[in-house]
Amino acid sequence: MDSELIQQIRNQARSLLESGEVKGIIGYERASDGLTARPFFAYEPAAVERLIFDETCTHNLTKYLLNKKTEKMAVVVKPCDSRTINLLLNEKQIRRDMVFVMGVACPGVVETSWNHKDGTLQARCKICQLVEPLVYDFLARHEAVERPQGEPYRDVQEMETKSVTERKDFWVEQFERCIRCYACRQVCPGCYCPECFVEQLDPLWVGIRIAPKENELWQIMRAFHLAGRCIGCDECEHVCPVNIPLSLLNHKLEKEVKELFDFQAGLNPEEQPPLTTFKKEERLGFEE
Amino acid sequence: MNLYISRGDLTRWLDQLCRERILLAPVRVQELTLFQPVSKVEEITLDFGNTTLSPKGWFLPPTEALFSVQDNDGQSQLVSSIIEKDAVIFGLRPCDAKGIALMDGPFLREPSDTPYQERRARTSLIGLSCRQAQPECFCTSMGSAPNDSSHVDILLTEIENGYIAQVITKKGKALLPKALVKSEEALPSPPELQTVPVKEITLAVRELFNDPYWEQLADRCLHCNVCAYVCPTCYCFDMRDYSNKENLERVRSWDSCQSIGFSRIAGGYNPRTTKGARLRQRFAHKLLYFPEEFQQDIACVGCGRCIKSCPVNIDIRETMSDLKRLEVKGGS
Repeated sequence: MDSELIQQIRNQARSLLESGEVKGIIGYERASDGLTARPFFAYEPAAVERLIFDETCTHNLTKYLLNKKTEKMAVVVKPCDSRTINLLLNEKQIRRDMVFVMGVACPGVVETSWNHKDGTLQARCKICQLVEPLVYDFLARHEAVERPQGEPYRDVQEMETKSVTERKDFWVEQFERCIRCYACRQVCPGCYCPECFVEQLDPLWVGIRIAPKENELWQIMRAFHLAGRCIGCDECEHVCPVNIPLSLLNHKLEKEVKELFDFQAGLNPEEQPPLTTFKKEERLGFEE
Repeated sequence: MNLYISRGDLTRWLDQLCRERILLAPVRVQELTLFQPVSKVEEITLDFGNTTLSPKGWFLPPTEALFSVQDNDGQSQLVSSIIEKDAVIFGLRPCDAKGIALMDGPFLREPSDTPYQERRARTSLIGLSCRQAQPECFCTSMGSAPNDSSHVDILLTEIENGYIAQVITKKGKALLPKALVKSEEALPSPPELQTVPVKEITLAVRELFNDPYWEQLADRCLHCNVCAYVCPTCYCFDMRDYSNKENLERVRSWDSCQSIGFSRIAGGYNPRTTKGARLRQRFAHKLLYFPEEFQQDIACVGCGRCIKSCPVNIDIRETMSDLKRLEVKGGS
């Protein structure tokens, strides 16, 4: 744990709470296993002593901004999470003047689960190119951060070498295990519909069965709704209780959007996501 | 009565069971351990702390058709859902067996739930005591124990050269092979577990019903359904009818109080809209409503699955400690 980095975060958080600039701080504290991190909300200056930052801080805390729209909050963001700030600003889900972004220069986070952490960097960190958050009001930074030079979309390319039947069989088997707990949706900062299509009764898009066909429809729709919007935090996969490799599906869609539109979500708050806009010159193979 | 079963005996016995009955046992699926019907003994794993999902799914499946109405040459015919053979769950932990006994409260109270009753009556439970506790385990605080034989038909305990089978019920006795010899060997002592303060927790929940604690805790909660779906005692469900020209089916699927639409009623009103109210429902149901309604223990068996699976570390042991502390203090 980098105590200098943590001190910077705590000092900034304390001053924000003492001055009354924000109502609360959304950060990380130690989890009940004494080993990993969990989200933490500090509303009193004394509570900032519980704030931490280390290689187990995997959660994308920007999700919580969606519950706190009426009060100004400060949120601790890693470089990857900062892309969500841009996404949510672009989609008008948050207001810039209602969020104080406490950026952290992050050397990457490791694979964790409750009471378990291993020494390996998460896959997303091996391909991350961001040293600092893209947007911040304050930056906690201590030790120099080096970025590994991993190649993106290796997982997708490997999958693309397989036949259609092999790919279909793979996903059918994965989705069979789904228990429709919706942890993937609930943790996703890009999933914020007041009523998700999967729970709408009229019209009824997906039945209530926790069964292969329904699971498949749910998972495919979930992924497509995030095409060109997913910022690749991989939290959906991280929280899945039955280990469905959801990031592989997300990465495939991200790769397609990048190739077709030269666009990656959350890099720029001004740039409209391609699937929410229509340009006459975009024909995408129709009537060509 | 205790009997000795060698490892070879166990394999032969399980082989016989899976030919005669539906045998559900722990199976490794990727990095998960799940109870699944097995057709060969080799599919079974005994190298596990506890299974990823509890065995409740056999009695209350994630999805089941309660009945269907079929068109039979112009006559409507009601077809009920039945299991084709008697079943055995092998290798369930004592905490999970207690979970099933707790579910009997809501499902077997008159009028009983027919599909549940049918599966319960036709299923035998072969428990496997825990020789090692997991970091998330706290069953001894919840009225069970790593070697608790109260809710199974047979309890197996692993010893150096095989297993000792404690025969608990007649159903269990009928299940065992005839040729086994009695064992006088002392059973190994169970592992020590952490203790969680649960004394009078029901009272604490009642006292703190309107406390701001719930909203504070809910700040962190994502309101997914993981805790409810991995829990051996969460039993809420949704129902819907599906029909086509030939067939109407009444389907029941797992549901959870953490979903926003769970408490929405006809006309669209939702009495439980805040995050805190939804999270409180989970704990209040387990710690207050359930024991009062069914005159049973509180609806938590200390398996720790929710602790292990919660994406944001909402830890029921910590919540119970917080509630006890706040009650003494007179609230937040």
